[in-house]
Amino acid sequence: MIEVDNLTIDYGSSDRKLRAVEGVSFRLGQSESLGFIGPSGCGKTTLLFALSGLLTPSEGSVRIGKEQVAGPRRNVALILQNAGLLPWKTVWQNANLSLILSGDYPAHNAQDILEELGLRNVKSRFPAELSEGMKRRVGIARALSISPSVLLMDEPLASLDTLTREKIQDLFLTLWKDRGFTLILVTHDIEEAAFLGQEIIVLTEKPARIKARVANREVGSLDYRQSEAFDRTVCRLREELER
Amino acid sequence: MKQVLIYICSVIFLLLLWEVASITINTINSGPVLPGPYEALSQVVKNGAELQRHFLASAWRLVMAMLIALVAAVPLGLVIGHERSVDTFVSPMIYIMYPIPQVALILFLFLIFGTGSATKVAIVAMVLFFQVLVSARGAAKNISEEHLVSVLSAGANRWQVYRHVIFPATLPGILTSVRVGIGVGIAFLYIAETNTAQGMGLGSFIKRYMLFGRDRAFAGIIAMAFLGLVLYVGIDILERILCRWKYVKR
Repeated sequence: MIEVDNLTIDYGSSDRKLRAVEGVSFRLGQSESLGFIGPSGCGKTTLLFALSGLLTPSEGSVRIGKEQVAGPRRNVALILQNAGLLPWKTVWQNANLSLILSGDYPAHNAQDILEELGLRNVKSRFPAELSEGMKRRVGIARALSISPSVLLMDEPLASLDTLTREKIQDLFLTLWKDRGFTLILVTHDIEEAAFLGQEIIVLTEKPARIKARVANREVGSLDYRQSEAFDRTVCRLREELER
Repeated sequence: MKQVLIYICSVIFLLLLWEVASITINTINSGPVLPGPYEALSQVVKNGAELQRHFLASAWRLVMAMLIALVAAVPLGLVIGHERSVDTFVSPMIYIMYPIPQVALILFLFLIFGTGSATKVAIVAMVLFFQVLVSARGAAKNISEEHLVSVLSAGANRWQVYRHVIFPATLPGILTSVRVGIGVGIAFLYIAETNTAQGMGLGSFIKRYMLFGRDRAFAGIIAMAFLGLVLYVGIDILERILCRWKYVKR
């Protein structure tokens, strides 16, 4: 269970304060998914960093499993915009980075994860040798390596071509259903939010406040994109964003 | 192999330029002022054993100075570049000390520490220290936020951030500063070696023969150039091994 109450984040000193997020509250159960959508630069990433423990809230609180989040947690994985791969580490080292840092390396399931994501044959390559789609898969492998109970994603498929983006969205959906982690996605892509989020929170321009909540409970099948429910959600999100 | 051939062609071209310059200058001055490459290279062969001893003495000093500079400047530069509070305190000191012409301090160092080999190493290390320090600091300041967030979100502690992100990210920049520093280091080594009484080192060798054995002195200059070349190639090889990720392509 994730409980966020009145989350507010300010940057800067007290006399020159810049508010990035204001009064955001929500609850999310285990194995549920939630999407955040809003204009570029509205504070979505800041919000996600607070959920991951990288930023301390100025006001309000973030709780995961009844514990206050006060720093990065071992059961919470974060996938960054460009996968956050380190160019000087190989695919194998990047995929196992979280385990190397926590001292749990090597994990018995690391090889299986690479196999599952189609990365076994490139494990000794560097990120510069990979396609953009493969880089994102390595980012996913890193997240999965710690068997997270919460997966946070910050525009994980930005700048990918449509087909690759849809393939990886399908992969996210399959992994989410199979592994049962709680999924929180931040994106500015309406269709991505509609495909992955059981609920989608629309944010205002900076500071990010909750503008609307759109329920999207039919999410969960790979052919959801072809359904009327999906189209309705997309239309509703577009209306809310333009409002 | 191709790289070796390019190096050889480049050296031959340089020798040709030198020959042309030698003929021109000697014709203008109606006498032997600048020895040609043949005369100088003949002296390298004739004085091989003596040059080798001086070469090794200079090479040892330069390599020691580089190592001392790297060990002292890299950690300090990375900390200053990454930790804002340290930067605020230390950077003004660097801004004051870096522009001081270190050549002006050579005599003081000789007066304080004597004219032995250690002082010569210290002079070159001092020059290289500031070059590496400033480069390491700059490189650490420019590290991608995404790479830092990537390891911090995975729970990295401060030491792990340095080990997995800051050091590898800045290594190419540090090696470039060492490459630039080789030329400056050799120049200061020459100054240090020629400012003392007779001793070992290519600077002493060149000084001894500059007035009455110019061909021999140029043999010493060739040896110094060779020392620089060996170190440049060494750094290139080191970079290809340590920063292999920089040289891969899709």
